Amino acid sequence: MTGLISYSAFSQVLPLIILTVGALLTLLFEVFLKHEWRKEILSATAIVAAVGAYATNSAEFEPHKILFSGHLYADPFALFFSLFILVVALAVIILGIRGLAQEGVESSGEYHGIFLFGLVGALVLVSAANFITLFLGLEILSMALYALCASAPGRPRSSESALKYFLLGSFSSVFLLYGIALLYGVTGTFDLVSINARLINTDSYSPMIAFLLIALGLLFKLGAVPFHFWIADVYQGSPTPITAFMACAVKAAAAAVVLRVISGVFADLHGLWSGMIACCAVLTMVVGNIVALQQRSMKRMLAFSSVAHAGYLLVGVLAIGPQYGGAAAIAFYLVTYAAMTFGSFAVVQIVSAGQASKKNSDDVSRFQGLSSTNPFLAACMALFLFSLAGLPPGVSGLVAKFFIFSTAVRADYVILSVVGVLMSAVSCYYYLRVVVAMYFMEPPVVAGESSVAPRFDIPLPLTAVLVFAALLVVVLGLFPARLFEVAQQVTSSLL
Amino acid sequence: MNESFFIMGESDIDILSLLIATPLLGALLLYILPFFSDRDDPTGRRSRIFSFIITLIPLSLSFIALAASRGMNNPGVIQFVKRVNWIPQLGISYFVGIDGISFALLLLTVVLMPLVILSAQISQKRRAFFANLLVVEAAMIGTLLALDLFLFYVFWELMLAPMYFLIGIWGGNKRINATLKFVVYTVVGSVLMLIAMLYLVWSTYRTTGVLTFATDQLLALSSLTALEQIWLFSAFAIAFAIKVPIFPFHTWMADVYTEAPTAALVVSSGIMIKLGLYGLIRFAYPMFPIGAQVVGPIIVALAVFGILYGALVAWEQGDLRRLLAFSSLSHLGFCVLGVFAFETISLTGAIFQAVCHGITAAGLFILLGMLTDQTRSRDISAYGGLTEKMPRFAFVLLIFTLSSVALPLTNSFVGEFLILIGSFRVLPLATALASLGVIFGAVYMLSFYQKLMFGRFDAAKNGSLRDLSLAQALILVPLMVLVFYLGIFPSSLLSTIEPSVVSYRTAVILKKQRVVESTPESLPVASGRSLEARLIDQQAVLKG
Repeated sequence: MTGLISYSAFSQVLPLIILTVGALLTLLFEVFLKHEWRKEILSATAIVAAVGAYATNSAEFEPHKILFSGHLYADPFALFFSLFILVVALAVIILGIRGLAQEGVESSGEYHGIFLFGLVGALVLVSAANFITLFLGLEILSMALYALCASAPGRPRSSESALKYFLLGSFSSVFLLYGIALLYGVTGTFDLVSINARLINTDSYSPMIAFLLIALGLLFKLGAVPFHFWIADVYQGSPTPITAFMACAVKAAAAAVVLRVISGVFADLHGLWSGMIACCAVLTMVVGNIVALQQRSMKRMLAFSSVAHAGYLLVGVLAIGPQYGGAAAIAFYLVTYAAMTFGSFAVVQIVSAGQASKKNSDDVSRFQGLSSTNPFLAACMALFLFSLAGLPPGVSGLVAKFFIFSTAVRADYVILSVVGVLMSAVSCYYYLRVVVAMYFMEPPVVAGESSVAPRFDIPLPLTAVLVFAALLVVVLGLFPARLFEVAQQVTSSLL
Repeated sequence: MNESFFIMGESDIDILSLLIATPLLGALLLYILPFFSDRDDPTGRRSRIFSFIITLIPLSLSFIALAASRGMNNPGVIQFVKRVNWIPQLGISYFVGIDGISFALLLLTVVLMPLVILSAQISQKRRAFFANLLVVEAAMIGTLLALDLFLFYVFWELMLAPMYFLIGIWGGNKRINATLKFVVYTVVGSVLMLIAMLYLVWSTYRTTGVLTFATDQLLALSSLTALEQIWLFSAFAIAFAIKVPIFPFHTWMADVYTEAPTAALVVSSGIMIKLGLYGLIRFAYPMFPIGAQVVGPIIVALAVFGILYGALVAWEQGDLRRLLAFSSLSHLGFCVLGVFAFETISLTGAIFQAVCHGITAAGLFILLGMLTDQTRSRDISAYGGLTEKMPRFAFVLLIFTLSSVALPLTNSFVGEFLILIGSFRVLPLATALASLGVIFGAVYMLSFYQKLMFGRFDAAKNGSLRDLSLAQALILVPLMVLVFYLGIFPSSLLSTIEPSVVSYRTAVILKKQRVVESTPESLPVASGRSLEARLIDQQAVLKG
């Protein structure tokens, strides 16, 4: 915790600076960037530059290293999640190339500017070393997301979803603030590292209440039951690239913060929170999977699926102790989950292209017969869905779930694991229903439309992203050892 | 006596990985090469020939491996072992090997698959069809060879997706319900098995400090209490019982059997359901011998009930395929009985019978597929008096029917006889009841044959039926030959199975003793006779 702001500290926050500058430039030059791809190229360049900045300074990210008087971590954990979020963000930009117009986003310059700002918030969030920075990062991210949700006024539920997200989100932020204030009152510090030591000597009520309030704020972002009510509406109403971003990157950021806070602040109070998190995990897995069964809208189905997966993540959180390795399992899970979820959302967006103004634009019936009209898309989607269900050939989904439940069984949460795997068996039903539509049914013949089923035109970069996601799903399943090792290394500095 | 089952033969050639990889590679080529696309290959001829050739490779490799293993001087051990770290952090390895038990079922798989591909009748998306068949072959071979629990689990689950597509795309009208039933049943069973695996591995880690999913190490190290064993065994047994199926987990079967295309049906009833039996033998029983001993009587009771129930329900069925589905339930009950009697003879018989049932069921399904493809009717009452119109068909069907009722000189006779004679000493009542099933089996199969082949010929309905063509008959010739070959020279296969069963059984009994010695106070008493008395028996058997 050096008090000096050195040059090296700036070199490590260079990505944040690059992204901020990129955001400002995008907003500034929006008027001049009329050509189809220019804004995408500008923001993609900013993201790639940020990745490059991280990559060149990667050696300086050491365990327990803290910058700016205890505000930002510069440890491998922060590096891992920052890079992860940036890669997802790049894919989100690519998904928006033609998608934004199709999804009804009107001012794409603002969209990209705000998106980059939100990205800065996400990166601050995963590196936050004290509660003030954490809150700052969370709010920068959230504000950007509220605006992004509303960026497609052409969509039927866009404004509704943005308003809902804004109201509930601010509410949860307030709870988080209460919790932070309470902790400050008890311990006299905002630093994640120092709170833990001072908490042990306090009476048992304040930490517990503080934990409840902070957990409420964070679990809201993670999308755990009973704080999940916003998810389906917001996921459905937002433009699909933003939905994919929320499902993959924001969830990962939230999970990273949960890991950081729980293992940093509340590690020694395991008995205090484990029961609550266990209940929450069971509820999340059960409600997410059961409600997903009834969804016909693909985005709502994937939304509840993301709730269910948040439940699996919480199972890993319970086994967070250093001897169990739950944190590593979660980090691994997030990467594979991002690959398959992003891929699914991308396919949903392509299939519902140009239908944004219709209410049933992403109905599962649109997937009927996709295997004969668009075999590539159908094969990718089937792979992603099998992986989400945890079935081979989507081996990585299986391996990721296996890691999570392995740590849980190791930490003696056997019943919880049984609930988890049974729910994951339930999930087969709704994931495979899409496969049924794609492979076992004929393309629908809609009155008034041409009888030739559409063959979707996918931009080349998006094809590359889909192939990349599909390869990731297969390769991470067949050769998981390397990524798991990385996950173990980056999470080891947490504990 | 101390010569353990898990002393492994070593081999430089990685023949087993080739066995798994060839069909997978074939499926990949089939899927990506435009040469096989539906446009360039509208009749599916190229993809059929290509996949047929691909399936010949595992076939020949298996026989080469068999010949090589016959040459090795300690039969019964696991051979051709290949072990590579896969996820070292969790002690998971790519660990494959083969012994006589897996050999028998491997041979069944590689012999049936080329015939399945030749006999498949499909009207659309042929390339995808054959690709799925190849994937399912790879998964089944992998399941038979895997010796690492997690690897086994991955292959076990990998069987699901191609079967799902085979039934869902090329199945009958109610195929979607059938696929959902199939998937949900299978997955619910297997995820519980996954948790049981994890529990086994971590509790072994806790007591010994060794983190491994390899079955040999787990067998040697795991020391679970009797109660834990009962739970874990039940979790494994349910997963396998759903596959076999054992009553009351059979309810997925009739739907799948009626809706699946013939080829998927042959794969499922000919090979896949035997893998449930294999799982019981290879993993569930040896890992949790006490659990098996306690839960065993229940499973035996269910199996015997299944034998009789299946036979009686089969008798009542008016649908060809449902009849054979319940007949499978009945026949597989014998195998389960043989496994849980846990005598050398009955175990050998159970594995032998699994192979025989595979051959017979495959023959029956392929043959009836050739009939129903012409008429689109699976209703038994729609037929009658086909003998004159289809003499060749009648002859071939007769052979498989007789094999199914276990006539002497046919393969099933040997299998069922070995099972009954082996089981009688330990489970006299169950065996006596099961033998009733043999009689019932004769009743429903013969009356089925009678209804189909004799009686009044309905020229209006069946006048256009054609007899088996030469090509169709040729597909069935290998199976007919096997029916008699295994019936007359059973030792050709038994000599492969038996040494492995002997060393397998010895290893399991030794393990059981070890567990019993380490936890003497927590012993539950099983089925009438005390455990001690049974152990003394077993020791006497081992010494003798």
